[in-house]
Amino acid sequence: MLRKDVNDLLTQTGTGTAMGDLFRQYWMPALLAEELPENDCPPVRVKLMSERLVAFRDSEGRYGLIDEFCAHRGVSLWFGRNEEGGLRCPYHGWKYDYTGQCIEVPSEPEESGFCSKIKLKNYPLIKVGDILWTHMGDPENRPPKPEWEFATVPPEQTFTSKRWQECNWLQAMEGGIDSSHVSWLHSGALVSDPLFKGARGNKYNQGDKRPFFEVVDADGGLFIGARRNAEDGKYYWRITPWVMPSFTMIPPRGDHPVHGHFWVPIDDENCWAWSFDYHPVRALTRDERKAMQDGYGVHVKYTPGTYRPLANKDNDYLIDRAAQKRGETYSGVEGIAMQDASLQESMGPIVDRTKENLVSTDNGIIMARHRLRKAAVALRDKGETPPGVDPAHHKVRSASVVLPPDQAFVDACKEDLTVRPGVKQSSV
Amino acid sequence: MNAPTLLSSCARAATAAEARYRIDYPNSRARSSRIVALDDEAAAIMRRIEDDVWGDTHFLTFRARHPAPGIAALSIDATLARPDGGETRLSAELAGADVVVMIASSGAGIEACFVRNIMTAGLIVSRDRADPDVERAVRALRPYAAVLVIAADEEFVPAMLHALRA
Repeated sequence: MLRKDVNDLLTQTGTGTAMGDLFRQYWMPALLAEELPENDCPPVRVKLMSERLVAFRDSEGRYGLIDEFCAHRGVSLWFGRNEEGGLRCPYHGWKYDYTGQCIEVPSEPEESGFCSKIKLKNYPLIKVGDILWTHMGDPENRPPKPEWEFATVPPEQTFTSKRWQECNWLQAMEGGIDSSHVSWLHSGALVSDPLFKGARGNKYNQGDKRPFFEVVDADGGLFIGARRNAEDGKYYWRITPWVMPSFTMIPPRGDHPVHGHFWVPIDDENCWAWSFDYHPVRALTRDERKAMQDGYGVHVKYTPGTYRPLANKDNDYLIDRAAQKRGETYSGVEGIAMQDASLQESMGPIVDRTKENLVSTDNGIIMARHRLRKAAVALRDKGETPPGVDPAHHKVRSASVVLPPDQAFVDACKEDLTVRPGVKQSSV
Repeated sequence: MNAPTLLSSCARAATAAEARYRIDYPNSRARSSRIVALDDEAAAIMRRIEDDVWGDTHFLTFRARHPAPGIAALSIDATLARPDGGETRLSAELAGADVVVMIASSGAGIEACFVRNIMTAGLIVSRDRADPDVERAVRALRPYAAVLVIAADEEFVPAMLHALRA
């Protein structure tokens, strides 16, 4: 359980909040690059950490992420005309460049210089991999660019999607470090999902539903090892890295691509679940990429024209009680991502953690909350840069391995848990 | 009948407005917790938090091990010290305990006391993960604890105990 004041601290990410300030230390995913596919394409509404913004790509290919609303009369610039080096408000023609600087106020004499006095709030927007990233904190403390492996391998080796999740970021993220639910909620997917099935490790998951856990502090966050019984007294370990504030990776299965997530607050009651798949040493096959596009693995099928999942709370997640009864899905909801999201959304927009009854195997979650609270308070009170800002902390991998019983995963798998360019992931 | 009461019942049920109607009652009984420091450094960490507000929580320090003949759940029995200096037996403390948290540090001399049929967590506090004593502590605790946590800072100890409703 958490006290209400701590729950509030961890779940509120608007401007001026402790956790909001923490998130603003990092480069965070803002949009898929495909959302701004060409110069002068339509602008896109973006809401991040309770700030309403609009993104656009100008005539020279520069990305802008600026306050959504025109400084004149408060019109949404989503209606703007993206043309000739800026975004023009359609109401009275005020025009802004990619930095938010007003560059034209047609009603005023050009020589008056009036427009130079108008500037909208803006944040940088940079492309790394398939993603446009932003840093919403102090420009003077802007960290180096993100160096996550999934975003820096060649494009043919990686695939990223995002989906709207209708709950607070923390309860969504906590699912990403809760390895014990896999043997239950996702048990059907281990047999049927094309991006999961067929791995030798799956039988250990299915054969031992009471994993033991080891949680180890790491420089950037945590490593959470889930241990299940394998043959000959050995242990099957699934090791999940969590890097602050909200990056998680799923331990791999066989030679399938490696998956993971970024959990990014939209506001306090909604978040983006960014989902990636990549292979460190080979291109994704056509079948793998198609499976990802079709919503398998950690991805979803969309409501056409949106990033909202097709199965969502407005249609009761298309729950299929017959499939549940047949054992094809454990909860009746199809697809790994929506199996998680449906349950996390059912907790309510912000789960009341004063009511929960954690058990010892929830220690990964307990430790993550502790690290987040501590980092947020240290930033607020002492100005300390939090873990995970340093790109060296980005160079982690998940792993699944079989080890002798006397070996600690964190020692035996030191190399496996570190990005090694050109070296395959460690996976069973 | 498999149909929900209303179409889109999840959409309505998951709102903040509906959250107000969650039944407000204590959904669990108080847990009885035993916190056992397994070495001197762990005992010092434990002493620093004993005066916080806790529920039915006994803070105990391992003193010596004994055979545990006839106690199915225990591999050994042990003498434990209470904060007031008095002694008690592990087997007696475990009767009625819901949660056992064993705390170790990188200090030597771990002779852990273990139980198999209670929610059991092992917590090792050490800033130096490479310390061989830490590895020894991990190996000693691994077979018995449902979860092992290796924490770099001792502030995690009260955070974990409060999270587990100790």
